[in-house]
Amino acid sequence: MVAIDMTTASIIYVTSFVILLIGYLTAISSKDVIRLLISLEMMFGAVFLALIPLFSVAILANAAFGIAIVTIFTSSGELLILIAAIGILDRQKKDIHTNVIKIGGDRV
Amino acid sequence: MEVWVLIALAGIAVLSSLGVLLSKDNFYSSLYMSATLIFVASIYAIFNLQPVFVLIVFIFVGAIGIVTVAVAATYRSDPESQFSKPWAVLVVITAAVVGFAIYSYKMLNPNLSSSLIKFELINFMAQPEYLILVLSLVALVVLLLLSVLKMVAGGTED
Repeated sequence: MVAIDMTTASIIYVTSFVILLIGYLTAISSKDVIRLLISLEMMFGAVFLALIPLFSVAILANAAFGIAIVTIFTSSGELLILIAAIGILDRQKKDIHTNVIKIGGDRV
Repeated sequence: MEVWVLIALAGIAVLSSLGVLLSKDNFYSSLYMSATLIFVASIYAIFNLQPVFVLIVFIFVGAIGIVTVAVAATYRSDPESQFSKPWAVLVVITAAVVGFAIYSYKMLNPNLSSSLIKFELINFMAQPEYLILVLSLVALVVLLLLSVLKMVAGGTED
């Protein structure tokens, strides 16, 4: 039986927060959709990390496992859709960069 | 001892996530991302939560992460720095504010540090509703995969 105290929980939350912020910064700085996909996966990794202290509450342990499974499967599904969208975007626009957006001849 | 292992794993995870941010090439960036997720999963493993470790490593890294690496390797172009300094300043300020909030919470509530909380992952697989949940999620992913295949095939016809 493994027990965690507040220090351990703090380390986990701080690590999760740092990875989440780095994911946000990567998403903001991204110039193509593949970097955006990578940053989304990092953010989901931070979410997985933030779920660990939920397992420490005895009555919530089974529910936490259920939440972890739902999170992993749904995030995988979302990323699968994004990967397909990248393929379709490249096929239709012949470009995967996001720094230039063209709308009706205007460049934003 | 375990706290030091946790700190080491967390530190390596943060360093590899910094590698994602600072790497210019998307291919290396996706490799660093896979390493970050494996270290996040190994933090689950040191808390004796091996089922979640297996799910993250096999499904998230093994399936989605490898596809991301493959996509990044396919669309490999001239490396270009993708790091925004103005946004980095804002992110560091936010991190400092939240870090101070966590620190001050612990300082103002010293009694919390002595309370131990235990993991109890009991009889999960014996509960039928969770088995149905897992089955429905697997069916959901299979359906998503089929619809993605149909979407991509539809794009080919155009």
